Amino acid sequence: MRIATTWLCCCSGCHVSMLDLHERLLKLFEDVELVHCPVLMDVKEIPDDVDVALIEGGIRNEENVEVAEELREKAEVVVALGTCACYGGVPGLANLFSNEELLEAVYVETASTENEEGTIPSEGVPELTWRVHPFSDVIEVDYELPGCPPEPDRIAEVLEAILEGEEPELPGYNLCEECPREKREEGLIIPEIRRPVEGEPDPDRCLLEQGYLCMGPATRAGCGARCPKAGVPCTGCAGPTDRSVDQGARMLSTIASAFRADEDEVDPGELVERLRDPVSWFCRFTLPASLIPFRVDR
Amino acid sequence: MAKDWEPKIIAFCCNWCSYGGADTAGVGRMQHPPSARIVRVMCSGRVEPSLVLKAFREGADGVFVGGCHLGDCHYQSGNYKWWRRAEALKRYLEQIGIEPERFRYEWISASEGEKFAQVMTEFHETILELGPLKLDERLKKL
Repeated sequence: MRIATTWLCCCSGCHVSMLDLHERLLKLFEDVELVHCPVLMDVKEIPDDVDVALIEGGIRNEENVEVAEELREKAEVVVALGTCACYGGVPGLANLFSNEELLEAVYVETASTENEEGTIPSEGVPELTWRVHPFSDVIEVDYELPGCPPEPDRIAEVLEAILEGEEPELPGYNLCEECPREKREEGLIIPEIRRPVEGEPDPDRCLLEQGYLCMGPATRAGCGARCPKAGVPCTGCAGPTDRSVDQGARMLSTIASAFRADEDEVDPGELVERLRDPVSWFCRFTLPASLIPFRVDR
Repeated sequence: MAKDWEPKIIAFCCNWCSYGGADTAGVGRMQHPPSARIVRVMCSGRVEPSLVLKAFREGADGVFVGGCHLGDCHYQSGNYKWWRRAEALKRYLEQIGIEPERFRYEWISASEGEKFAQVMTEFHETILELGPLKLDERLKKL
């Protein structure tokens, strides 16, 4: 089995997560030849006849498009590895700004930048695409494995399934189902909204019930609820479940429905006051794959 | 602006009040612009933000949601849930760059045909002033 991996618009964290398989990786790679992997190998060109391509990262520039298309042509199976590949990921929040604004911010406006002439690199660098995309906008994807990064065990399961010629499966349900925190039996009620720095969370109870904006209800399970277990609200890195079209909209709906749901006449003013930045909070990982994937008036 | 452009409005109306209000407007032959396509839902509490966003994505220039008056909900608290969602969604729309005026919700009872016709006329005028949203062209951009 010939495997190629590559990175597009990403941080290489998913590759690192794969390396975190440690000894299991050796076992997994007994029948596998790694033919292309810019993170580990000094390779320039993608070889022909790739069986499985693991692509990390989304589409941010013309080079990303080219590499994705070439791999699609040469590989039998293409796997989107990680949330940037599946949904655009954190870099996708750039879609809230125009390319001009972004380049100005990066190359001219930052306090530590010395660039008196305001030069913006334009030669020998690939052109930015109009916005960030999940790469499924550009090429066909066979399997998606979201997570920022995906858990090493999930990566192994997916790879093992593909090597065995089986369909890899992801949990279709949400994070709350695998979160061990205690939940109220009558359903979710959020009495107030607290920022992560406010107060100290009860170690056993559901974080949302305590007012911390945990993305569990709108997020795909599979990580074992690592963050909530450690007392940190889920940020939704694994993207939406099979049952929702838009992770951010789902979360917005959940929060608004559950906010003081035990009282009849609730003025929404206080809720809105506390939701200062709903787009970056609820679409942190999935904006480029959401229903409205960019700022419309940018 | 192209002369042949007419606002496209998607109106989600609850079965028990606003849809009845639209009926009353029709039966009473009250005039309002035909730009709204009404989608009947059982309760405004059934309308989630993704429905509104999807309507915009698929070509609506404006989205309207009509529910029972507060306190009159057939399911007791459905419209209160919708109210909170609607206000949160407004903030979301603002941030994503869709003019919040393109999104309107009202409480219209089944007997308020006149209010229905009036709101539809006003909303049509508002969208006419704002012009087409033109999302589809930009959605196709790489």
